[in-house]
Amino acid sequence: MGKRDVQICFRFPSGTLEMEPPPNGVVRTPLNSVVVQRRSKSKSYRLSYRSCLGAASRLGFTPALTARRLNTSRRAPRSRNISEKVNSEQLALLLKTEWRLSYVTPLFKFRHTQLKSYSRQLSAFIAAEKQQGLAVDVEGSQSGFRVSFSVVQGMTETDDDAETVLIQIHTNPLFARQDEPQRSVWSGLLTCINGNTDYLHSLPKDFICLPLFGCSGSEVLTTLVKSWFQQAFDCSFGPLEISHTSLQWLVALWTNCHSESGIQQLKMIWTLPVVPPLQITYTVNPQDAWELWSSVRRDPQEENEGGEAGTSIDIKEVMRFVQGLKGHFYRHFRLDLSSGSLKQVSTALGSAKYNGRIKISNSRYMITTLTLLTECALLKMPI
Amino acid sequence: MAPKKNLLGPTDSDSSSVSDQSASNRSVNRSLRVAEKERRKNEAEDPLVLALKYFSDVEAGTPVVGNDEFENNLVLVERAAYSKGLSSEAVAVMLEFAMSLRMGTSPCVRVLKCLIPSTVVPQEAVVRAVVWLGVGKIPISTQVLFIKWVLTVFDMIDAKDQLRSIYGFIFSFVTEENLCPFICHLLYLLTRKESVRVFRVRKLLELQSKLGRQPFLLHLLSLYKVFCPELVTLSVPSRMRSGFRNHNSPWKSALIAVQKRNGSQVASSSSLPFTIKDMSSSRKRKHGHLELPVLSSLVNKQAQTESFSRKLVPLVQLHSFTQLLENMHRIELPAQMGSLLGSSLALQYLDCVQDESALLRLNFWLGYALHEEFLFCGDGRASQNSEEALQFLDKLLSTQHFLQEAFSSSEAFLYKFLSVWDGSLLRPQILSLLSHIPVVPSAQIGRLLFEPLMQLFFTSSLFFKCGLIECLNNMLLKWLTWHSVYALEDDLDISLNSHTSINMTLSGFKDSVMELVHFVGRLASVGLQLEGCHSLLLSFILDFYETVCDTFLRYGLPLVVMPPPAVFYPVLFSPDPVSVDRLAYIMYRYKVNLTSAKSQEKVTEQAFHISRQTFREFNNYVVVMVNCLWNSKMFHPGMGVQLGEELLLKSNVPQYWTSFDLVNHPAFLSYAVDFHQRCWPGRKDVDLNSIKHSKPWSWYLEYLYSQGYDGLKQFVPAP
Repeated sequence: MGKRDVQICFRFPSGTLEMEPPPNGVVRTPLNSVVVQRRSKSKSYRLSYRSCLGAASRLGFTPALTARRLNTSRRAPRSRNISEKVNSEQLALLLKTEWRLSYVTPLFKFRHTQLKSYSRQLSAFIAAEKQQGLAVDVEGSQSGFRVSFSVVQGMTETDDDAETVLIQIHTNPLFARQDEPQRSVWSGLLTCINGNTDYLHSLPKDFICLPLFGCSGSEVLTTLVKSWFQQAFDCSFGPLEISHTSLQWLVALWTNCHSESGIQQLKMIWTLPVVPPLQITYTVNPQDAWELWSSVRRDPQEENEGGEAGTSIDIKEVMRFVQGLKGHFYRHFRLDLSSGSLKQVSTALGSAKYNGRIKISNSRYMITTLTLLTECALLKMPI
Repeated sequence: MAPKKNLLGPTDSDSSSVSDQSASNRSVNRSLRVAEKERRKNEAEDPLVLALKYFSDVEAGTPVVGNDEFENNLVLVERAAYSKGLSSEAVAVMLEFAMSLRMGTSPCVRVLKCLIPSTVVPQEAVVRAVVWLGVGKIPISTQVLFIKWVLTVFDMIDAKDQLRSIYGFIFSFVTEENLCPFICHLLYLLTRKESVRVFRVRKLLELQSKLGRQPFLLHLLSLYKVFCPELVTLSVPSRMRSGFRNHNSPWKSALIAVQKRNGSQVASSSSLPFTIKDMSSSRKRKHGHLELPVLSSLVNKQAQTESFSRKLVPLVQLHSFTQLLENMHRIELPAQMGSLLGSSLALQYLDCVQDESALLRLNFWLGYALHEEFLFCGDGRASQNSEEALQFLDKLLSTQHFLQEAFSSSEAFLYKFLSVWDGSLLRPQILSLLSHIPVVPSAQIGRLLFEPLMQLFFTSSLFFKCGLIECLNNMLLKWLTWHSVYALEDDLDISLNSHTSINMTLSGFKDSVMELVHFVGRLASVGLQLEGCHSLLLSFILDFYETVCDTFLRYGLPLVVMPPPAVFYPVLFSPDPVSVDRLAYIMYRYKVNLTSAKSQEKVTEQAFHISRQTFREFNNYVVVMVNCLWNSKMFHPGMGVQLGEELLLKSNVPQYWTSFDLVNHPAFLSYAVDFHQRCWPGRKDVDLNSIKHSKPWSWYLEYLYSQGYDGLKQFVPAP
């Protein structure tokens, strides 16, 4: 109601862009690492609940508590052909799906070797929940849902990352004939890519950290799967939004790939807090976006000093880039997007929405995106 | 059974014919009935009862439009229904009123919508209403609404026997296309083996050929097939969409709310057969994360049995402390550690075993719940004042109190929450949680605690200021107690890590305590100015310094910190004698602590060194107090408070140096006058200076001490 959609699509007049310096205070990501440590096992002591009280660990622990932020710089997406390492069927599933994201606290006693047994248990759990309240088991003992857990080999980036787990639920279509194949009705993904090593190391052996959970399929099954996980591994699920800053990161990261694989267009949806709410669809020609991005990148000389030539992108560059986009928009429409927030980004490489939905369309840059999302999920961890 | 019953006279007559039938299986106690009559008499004046009486008596054909009496009565009933639910009698009356269409079809829907039973629904009423369906004047949509209502409250109907006996009658509605799905559902709930008949099967099959393979027909048929496989030859698909579509009935949320309010245990529609458990309600409830998980044993046992051959006892099977002790060595932790928060037995166990993983699980869950509820809630903070959040925090607090320590996740949560807290949301709970947090290293204490608290303190009301000072006093007390317990086990001077896992050295601990005391000193100084030395705030500040002045003797912490002048002087000049007396007591305790520390210093070399500065401050305060209160030497040069000679003369206060002695001090003036009258009852003109002669002065001091001012007495003991 009262929502105006403004669809704006234009080309940058090439070469006329001036860069304004980023305003102070835009960069709000001072700390670069999550340092979480916990009480060592050495001595048992009554006050063990106060795991942060062990001063040695505490000193490292507490600053991180309130100051955990997104990394301020990250490696530029390298085109990585993971299709060689990852099973093509699984990869296809990862790519074709739009995932609804959640964060998950570490899983207690999750074993990658037990996936078969988990498949059985989850099937049974779903069957039991579905038949709850049913006077008589109508269908007999055969459950209509078949769950399969599988490891996605070749996704991990570091030795600390736990292997990604893919969950699929199949069912027979209603009124199916005998020979009809089962249909996939739900899929889920538990992953950890480039998880913060300090955090992962701080967890005791019993815990497996797969902080990023994506799912697609019916809500009912999602709820069932989550509640099974909660009971089986004593973990908790919370919604994971893709924040304004993370979306800006994605804008930059994806644009950065344009030279290697075209992004077709850079489409952003901004909302402005006016009455009635104003939603702006801002579409930029890929070449223009690329040129703007190139212009805000640090000088190569400077980079060489930094050591890693062309491999790292700094938050300042991202902010300059977004500022450039905003500035251009302002010059044309006298509308300052700084007061609004970015709600959605999409390119040929993928699309991401503020409400935690993401689709990654190109396998070559999947790892970079998942790294960012893993980081977001870890930021949400309660301890 | 029923928390509240609004019995009505007319109801009996209405449904007497039916209730007679069931009277046999209800043993009616005569005395109960007498009591009921009595109560009925009392309730005769209840407007709700009168309203219900209206609906049971109203004549058919009474117009609805412009009928204020009707409107008022219906509003009364609706209000009662949505707040407490309707008693079974009221449900019967209203249902009868609606279905009989006594006032036409328009009120019917409205009445049906507010039929929220508080306890049970009498079967007779439902049967009668079903009979009204057969009369055929009710619009189809209303009929559907009625059947939906029956489905919603099905589990609350007190008996089902009569409903089953009209199975055939209900079945006849199956041919009505709009009603069919709901009738099928109702039949599904009522079906017994004897209800399955060939002609019914045939009817259903016939409908199926007409309507297609509708899930509701299939479900009913499949149930028939279970009872009588020989009658139903049709092949039921191996998997059907689960459940009858369970129509978002308008009553569910109201019903749940009413039941929650009444604390009723009556099963509700949320456990209706064929609906997935609470799915819709849990999705609607945004704050489900505050629910404690159910205490249940492990789901995933394989992992366990690998390593343990002995038999494990799940915690859920233990019900007493004795059982806990007997099975101590073989207790299996529950699947979800969060469930322990509600059980003191489990907490006792947890306190005893030191399972790091278990604690971490509990902390993950707790941290998650707190974060989701108070920090990540994107959709406004409206629900935060909710009863639920309050109960959750109270439970957490009582758990922490029970364990006498804080959970690290609640500590971590607080550090984040303080920076966004408005200082009023759930204040008592948050402040108590805060007072539980363990010692914060001095390097971080400023950023984690002091900065956010300072902002809150200076921008909040007097009551928040008092609350915060109290909270910090409790925090200090807990830190000191903790220290006194663990420092006593080791030798005083040995750093604490020799025995515990805490790597905090004694000096580190001292630094933290000192930071805290100085911080409260700063808060108190400015707070007193801001609030005009409010005596309530003063009292909380004095509480705090009563803790501080005794750190050495009572808690064995070699640390003495004096209050800042901005606290000391306002108390000294306070118009409130109790505050002045408490100050004297505090100074006395400082003296005892300091002398004891000094004498230890001489005896053992290990004793701590108190800086000269502390002694100087203390001596200065003592000199000021004695000069001011006892010696009438206010504003003497060399004292803390100095004013220019000319200024004092200009003030025209005669004998200004006496103005704060025990006689003229505003706090004690009334005592001096009282004493003067008792001492010299004959004198007409009061000359307070006469008290200062040596004899009356010592009597006067005795008199003051006898009024309960022990602090003064201890501060300057009688020579």
